[in-house]
Amino acid sequence: MTTPRHRAGRVLASEDFRAGFVEMLPVCIGVVPFGLVCGVGAAAAGANFAGAMGLATIIFSGAAQILACQMLADGAPVAVVILTCSVLGLRFLMYSAAMAPILSPLPRRWSGAVAFLLTDQAFAAAIRKYDAHGDARRAALHYTGSGMALWTFWQVTNAAGFYVGNVIPAAWSLEFAVPLCFLALLAPALRSAPHVLAAVVAGVAVMALDALPMRLNLVVAGVLGIVAGLAVEMAEARWKAR
Amino acid sequence: MEGALKLWIVIVAVGVLNYLSRMSFIAFFARRAMPPMLERALRYVPAAMLAALIVPRIVAALVAGVVAWSTRSTLKTLVAGMVALWLLQWGVPPAHL
Repeated sequence: MTTPRHRAGRVLASEDFRAGFVEMLPVCIGVVPFGLVCGVGAAAAGANFAGAMGLATIIFSGAAQILACQMLADGAPVAVVILTCSVLGLRFLMYSAAMAPILSPLPRRWSGAVAFLLTDQAFAAAIRKYDAHGDARRAALHYTGSGMALWTFWQVTNAAGFYVGNVIPAAWSLEFAVPLCFLALLAPALRSAPHVLAAVVAGVAVMALDALPMRLNLVVAGVLGIVAGLAVEMAEARWKAR
Repeated sequence: MEGALKLWIVIVAVGVLNYLSRMSFIAFFARRAMPPMLERALRYVPAAMLAALIVPRIVAALVAGVVAWSTRSTLKTLVAGMVALWLLQWGVPPAHL
């Protein structure tokens, strides 16, 4: 009979967990600038330290954290901020569906808990691992390790960014790094012609719908872009099928 | 401390909604396949949402670039770029100006 404590100990001691943790470290170094910018953004939006860390620990998604800070600083209503950030977070549905078979060997409660660690980076690493050896149990342990490494690193970089943002001179214009971060995320998302079209439609719509109140143009433009990408993909598939 | 309260409402609500998205198929619909239509639509979320966030800034920079190139005037470039950014981003100049 294994008690939960023993089970948790076995997980932490397992080779795959540790491999996941260690293999995630280079990725962690890569997200340092993004984490710093999130902390800087929280400080710039007037959040205190608890607020900045609440964003990092609970939302745990850089794009959503920055978006929330910017929209609140612009005076957008709370409901619209929540709506816009949630639409951005819908991509996790996609990752969740892809991760479900990998995490299926885990006890239900445990897989529900490690779902919290799901990010773009941890997802990519887990899928790679699973494709490499096809062992779901080992991939699940590996994912738990990489997810924990990323979460821990994220807290450190966000905290550092918060203090940096409060200390460094305004002349360094660190706020300029925010659009650069989004640009760096956007570039790899433009994988195909329909993806490019989705981005173009969203970009045009966000400007055309500028008159919408409460910064609703962001979420409406995003949804229009998604619909446009989907429509073109389906038209393309129908064309090929003929 | 109205701002702090707003921030915490957003943190908790977005945190919970993001967690539900993350958990959805792992915990709730583990034995169910995602509707194919939804799966296809979700692939466009990052491209569309990120473009909506930054395109106004890129266009403003391009407007400023064109004005700089055609007028060679620093003042006109600055004015055109900033006005373009405000119009594209907020529809109005920022309140504190």
